[in-house]
Amino acid sequence: MSQAASAEILSVTDVSKSFPGVKALDQVSFSVKRGTVHGLVGENGAGKSTLMKILSGVYTKDSGTVVFDGQEVPSTTPIKSMNMGLAIIYQELNLVNQLSVGENIFLGRFSEMGGMRGVHAKGRELLDSIASKIDTHKLVEELSVSEKQMVEIAKALSFQSKLIIMDEPSSSLTSDELKELYVIIRELKSRGISIIYISHKLDEIFDLCDTVTIMRDGHVIDTRAISDLTRGDMIAKMVGRTIENEYPPRANKVGEILLEVKSLNTLKLNDVSFSVRKGEILGLVGLVGAGRTEIVRALFGADKTRGHEIRIDGKPVKIRNPKDAIQAGFGFVSEDRKLQGLVLPFSVEQNISMASLQKIAPKGILRKSLEKAIAEKHVKSLAVKTPTIKTKVVSLSGGNQQKCIIGRWLETTPRILIMDEPTRGIDVGAKYEIYILMKEIAESGGAVIMISSELPEVLNMSNRVLTVYEGRITGEFDPIRYSADRVMESALGFKGGAEA
Amino acid sequence: MNMKVDIKKFTTSIFRDYLVLVAILALILVTMVVEPRFMSTQNMTNIFRQFGPLSLVSLGMTFVIIGGFIDLSVAGIFSLVCVVTVSLIDPIGQVPAMIVGLLVGIVCGLLNSFLLLSSGALTQAEALFITFGMSMITGAFALFITGGMVLNFSDLAGNFALFTAIGSGTVGLFPISLIIFSVALVILHFFQSKTIMGRTICLTGGNKTAARLTGLSVNGSIMMIYALSGFLTALGAINQFSRTTTASPTMGKGFETNAILAVVVGGTTLKGGKGSVLRTLMGTMLIILMSNCLNLLGVSSFMQNVTKGAILVIAIWLDNRKPL
Amino acid sequence: MNRNTLLQSAGKLISKQKALIAVLLMLILMLFTQTNFYTPFNIVDMLNSSSILLILAFGVTMTVISGGCDLSIGGVLVVSGIIAIRLINDLNMNIGLAILISLIFGAGVGFINGFLVVQQKTEPFIITLGMGMTLTGLAQQLTNARPVTCDNEAFTMISNGKIIPGVNNLVVIMLVILVIAHYVMRYTQFGRSMYAIGGDYEVARYSGINVVFVKWATFVICGMLAALAGVLLSSKLNSGSSIYGETTALIVNCAVVVGGVSFAGGVGGIPQAALGLLVFGVLQNAMNMLNVQSFAQILTQGLVIVAIIWLDSYSRKVKRERV
Repeated sequence: MSQAASAEILSVTDVSKSFPGVKALDQVSFSVKRGTVHGLVGENGAGKSTLMKILSGVYTKDSGTVVFDGQEVPSTTPIKSMNMGLAIIYQELNLVNQLSVGENIFLGRFSEMGGMRGVHAKGRELLDSIASKIDTHKLVEELSVSEKQMVEIAKALSFQSKLIIMDEPSSSLTSDELKELYVIIRELKSRGISIIYISHKLDEIFDLCDTVTIMRDGHVIDTRAISDLTRGDMIAKMVGRTIENEYPPRANKVGEILLEVKSLNTLKLNDVSFSVRKGEILGLVGLVGAGRTEIVRALFGADKTRGHEIRIDGKPVKIRNPKDAIQAGFGFVSEDRKLQGLVLPFSVEQNISMASLQKIAPKGILRKSLEKAIAEKHVKSLAVKTPTIKTKVVSLSGGNQQKCIIGRWLETTPRILIMDEPTRGIDVGAKYEIYILMKEIAESGGAVIMISSELPEVLNMSNRVLTVYEGRITGEFDPIRYSADRVMESALGFKGGAEA
Repeated sequence: MNMKVDIKKFTTSIFRDYLVLVAILALILVTMVVEPRFMSTQNMTNIFRQFGPLSLVSLGMTFVIIGGFIDLSVAGIFSLVCVVTVSLIDPIGQVPAMIVGLLVGIVCGLLNSFLLLSSGALTQAEALFITFGMSMITGAFALFITGGMVLNFSDLAGNFALFTAIGSGTVGLFPISLIIFSVALVILHFFQSKTIMGRTICLTGGNKTAARLTGLSVNGSIMMIYALSGFLTALGAINQFSRTTTASPTMGKGFETNAILAVVVGGTTLKGGKGSVLRTLMGTMLIILMSNCLNLLGVSSFMQNVTKGAILVIAIWLDNRKPL
Repeated sequence: MNRNTLLQSAGKLISKQKALIAVLLMLILMLFTQTNFYTPFNIVDMLNSSSILLILAFGVTMTVISGGCDLSIGGVLVVSGIIAIRLINDLNMNIGLAILISLIFGAGVGFINGFLVVQQKTEPFIITLGMGMTLTGLAQQLTNARPVTCDNEAFTMISNGKIIPGVNNLVVIMLVILVIAHYVMRYTQFGRSMYAIGGDYEVARYSGINVVFVKWATFVICGMLAALAGVLLSSKLNSGSSIYGETTALIVNCAVVVGGVSFAGGVGGIPQAALGLLVFGVLQNAMNMLNVQSFAQILTQGLVIVAIIWLDSYSRKVKRERV
C-alpha cells in the first residue's frame, strides 16, 4: 500500500446500514489519520452510534469497506475488534458493576494475566500510566462516572489499542474531571494512539480535535480540519436541511394559561418551571439524556418528585400517580412503546381501550360492543393497518403500533397530551396524519407537549420551544422568529438565552 | 417453498399448544377400551366428587398467574383454614366458623400482597419465595392450633350438618361440591372477562408498566389476585375437610404444585396476561381424568406424581417456546 | 458527621452483614442458656447436619451467581441417595461404581436443566421447581415411600468413618469441596466468568466469554454436587428416603441469599453461602437445644425467609426510587 494509506489508522468507504423501515447509514466515508484526535458530530439520529457499533462489531454493515491498520475488515465481533486494536468506550459504559476494577479491565482474560494477582498488578500499571489513583480492588459500582471512564481507558490500553472511540465521554463529568480527561487524551495522542471523539459539546471538539466529521441523517456532510471551521459553520452543517412541505400550518389559537408547573425537582431535574397555554403546542428540545422525558414523566406522576406545584386553569392540582394525572386531563404517549406502551400479547382492540375502561363499562360491566366501537373508530381515523381489531399488536409494524397508542390516548380526550417521540418509526404519510391530530387537539382548546429529536419537526409544529440541558430549562423560543441553529445552540448549553 | 414453511409452522404450533391435551385424551381413550369400569356411574360420580378442593384452589391460582405472579402459600393457607374452621365449630357454631375460615383465607392472601407491595417486589421469583415463606408460617400456625393432632368430626359436640352437606350431599345426580365449584366458575369467568378489575388483572400481567402508565390500579389488582387466591383456597379447604370429616394440619400439602399444574396444563401461560378460568377448568378436568385412568389401570400413585412432574416440566418448556 | 448519616451507615452495615450478625446474635444468646449447645458433641453434630446442606449450597451458589437458580436439588438429592443404596443393596454393585452412577445421574439432570434454562431460555426457578417435583415423585416410586436401608458396612463408613480422628469423613469431604469451590470461584477464569455472566450477560458475551458453556456447566456441577450430597446423606443415615427433598431446595436457595448471594447475580461467593447456611443450621440446632416445638421451628424458618427476601427487595426499591 502507498504511504498515504499507512498514515491512516482507519478508512471507511461507502458503508451503508439499514434496519427495518429506516436507512441508518447511507454511503458513509471518512478516514482518520494516525495519532490524531478526530471529532464526530451530529444530532440525535444522525447515525453516529450505528457507525460506531459497526466498527466495534456489535452490528454488521450491509455494504462498504472498512480498513483498519492497513487490513481490510469485512466483519468483526466485539472481542475481535478489541484484539485488533480498536477499542470503544460507550456512553453507557461496558463494565460489570459487581466486579472489581482490575477484573473489569481484564474481563475474560483472567488466566492469561496470571490470576487475581496478575490482574491487579497489571491493572495498577495501566492505571498509573494514565495518572489514575483508583484502587483496582474497588468494585466498579462504587466509582464515579469519571473514574469508570478511566477504567474503560485502561481497558482499551490493555489491548494495545491503536484507535479509541469515545462516545459522549464528558456527558457526566464535572469541569475538573473534564480537564483530567483532556490531559489523558493528549497523553494518549502523544503515544501515537488515535482517538475518535464523539460529542455534542462543540467547545470540546474545538479544544481537542484536529479534524472533525459532521454527520446528518445517515450521511457524512463533511470532513474538515478544525482550523477550517467556525462554530457557526459546524452547527449549520449539523442542522441544515431542506424543509419540505411536510407540516401543516401551525395551530394559532393560543389562549390563556392552561397549565403551570413550578419547581420540578428530581434526581436529575433542577428547579424546572414553565407554563403551557390553551391552543398551544409546546416543544421540548434537548440532547438525549438532557431531561426532557424526566420532565414529562414527573408531570404525569410516573416518577417520584419533591416539592413541586402544578396548576391547571389556575387551580392547584395534586398529581401523585398516573391515575391522578389522567383525571386532571393529561395523556401520555411514552417514548418506548414496546416496554412501556403496548401490552404485546393483547389485541389492537384491547390496547386501544385500556385507558378508557370506565367508559366501556357503564355499570361496571364491560360491553364488548362499546369496546369494539371505540377500537374501530380509531383504527379508521388513524388508518391503522391491521387485519382485524382482534389482531395481536405484536404483529403490527412499529408505526401502526404507535397509532394504536395514540388512539388509546385520544379516546380519553385529554386537555394536555404529552407526546414523547410520537412519530418515531412512522412513515411520512402517517406522520402528517399525526401532525393534523396534534393541531386539532390544540385548536379545540387543549394543549400538546411534544418531545422530539427531529429538530425540524419540533420547530415546525410548535408554537413555542423550550430547550432543556442537563436537567434545566435553558431557553424559550418562538420558532418563527429564531433559527434552528440558535435553538440548537441553546440546547447544547450555549448562551442560555431566555427570549420569546 | 412457502407451503413447506407454513406446514412446518402449523405442525409445530399444534405440537406446542395441544401436545398435553392430545396425550391425555389418548390416555382416556385407551382407558375406555381397556377398562370398562371407567364408564360406570360409580366412577363418574367419583370423578365429579373430586372437583371440589383442587379445582377451587386452581381457580384461585389462575388469577395469580394471569396477574403475572405465583402463590406457593396455598398449601399452608389450606391447612390453616381446615384446622381453624373445625376448631371453631363447637365454640361459635358452624356458620360463624365457616365465615371465619373464609376470612382467614382472605386475610392471609392480603398479607401476601401486602408483603410484595411494601417491598417493591416486581418479579415472579420474589413472589415465589415470599409466598413460600408464608406457607411455612401459616402451616406452623396450623400445627400449633392442633398440637400436631388430627381433628375429627366425630369428636365434635356441636352441629356440623352444613359441612356434611357440602362434603357428601347431592342435589339429584350432582354432588353439592360440584355445584359450588360450578357457581364459583361462572362468577369468576364473568369477573375475569366482564369486569374492569378482571381486565385490569389481565393487563397488569401483560405489561405492568404500561398498565400503570395508563392509570390502572396495578397495586389494587395485586391485592385482588392474592385475596381471591386465599378465599378460593379457603373454600377448597372447607370442601375437603367436609368430605373427609377430618382436619389435619398438613392437609394442604401438595396443593400448590397440583394447582400450578392444573393451570399450566390448561394452557394459561406462566408469563402472565393471557389465560382464563375456563382453561383451568379444562386443565383440572384433564388431571382428574388422568389420575382416574391411571388408577384404574393400576399405576401406582408415585408414578402418577412422576408423570405430573414431567408434564409440568414439558408444559412449561413448550409454553416458553411459544411466540407471544 | 451528623446523626442521619451515622444512622444511614449503620443501616448499610447491618444490611450488608445481616447473616453474620444473625449468627453472632444467636451464638451470644445461647451463651446465656442452660443447654448443651456449647458442648463438643453438639458442635460436631451441628457440623455433621450442616455438611449435607453446605454441599448443596455450593452448587446452588454457582447457578445463582451466574444469574440462575436451581430448585431441583432436593429431588436430585433423594433420588441419587436411593439409587446408590438400591444398587449396592439389591444388585450388590461395587460401591465406587454405584456412587459414580449416582453422580452421573446428578450431572445428567443438571445437563437437562442447563439445556432448558440456557439453550431454551426458560425461567430457571419454575422449570427447576418442576424438575424437582418430578424427581421427588420418582424417589417415592423407587422406594414405595418407605425408607430403604443398607446392609453394607463400608458404605456407611463413607460418611460416618473417621479417617481424621475426631472428625467425620462427611465433614472432611465437605471442607474439601468448600476449598475447591472457593478456589474455582475466586481464582480461575471459569469461576470469574460466572460473576461476569451474572453481573451483565451482554458485557460478558462481548468480552469473549463463552457464556452458554459456562452457565450450562454451573447447572451440571450443581446437579453433580446435589447427587454427591444425596449419596453422603444416605451413607450417613444408612438409608435412603424420599422425604428429605421436599422443602430442602427452597430453603437452601433462600439460605444462600440470606448469606449475601444476590438473586440478581454476580454478587457473593462460597463464604457467603456457607454463612447463610450457618444461620439456618445454628438456628435449627439452637431451637432443638431449647426444646422449641416443631411448629415454632417452622414458624421461625418461615419468618426468616420472608424477612430476608423482603429486605432484599426493599433495598432495591430504595435504590430505584431515589429522588
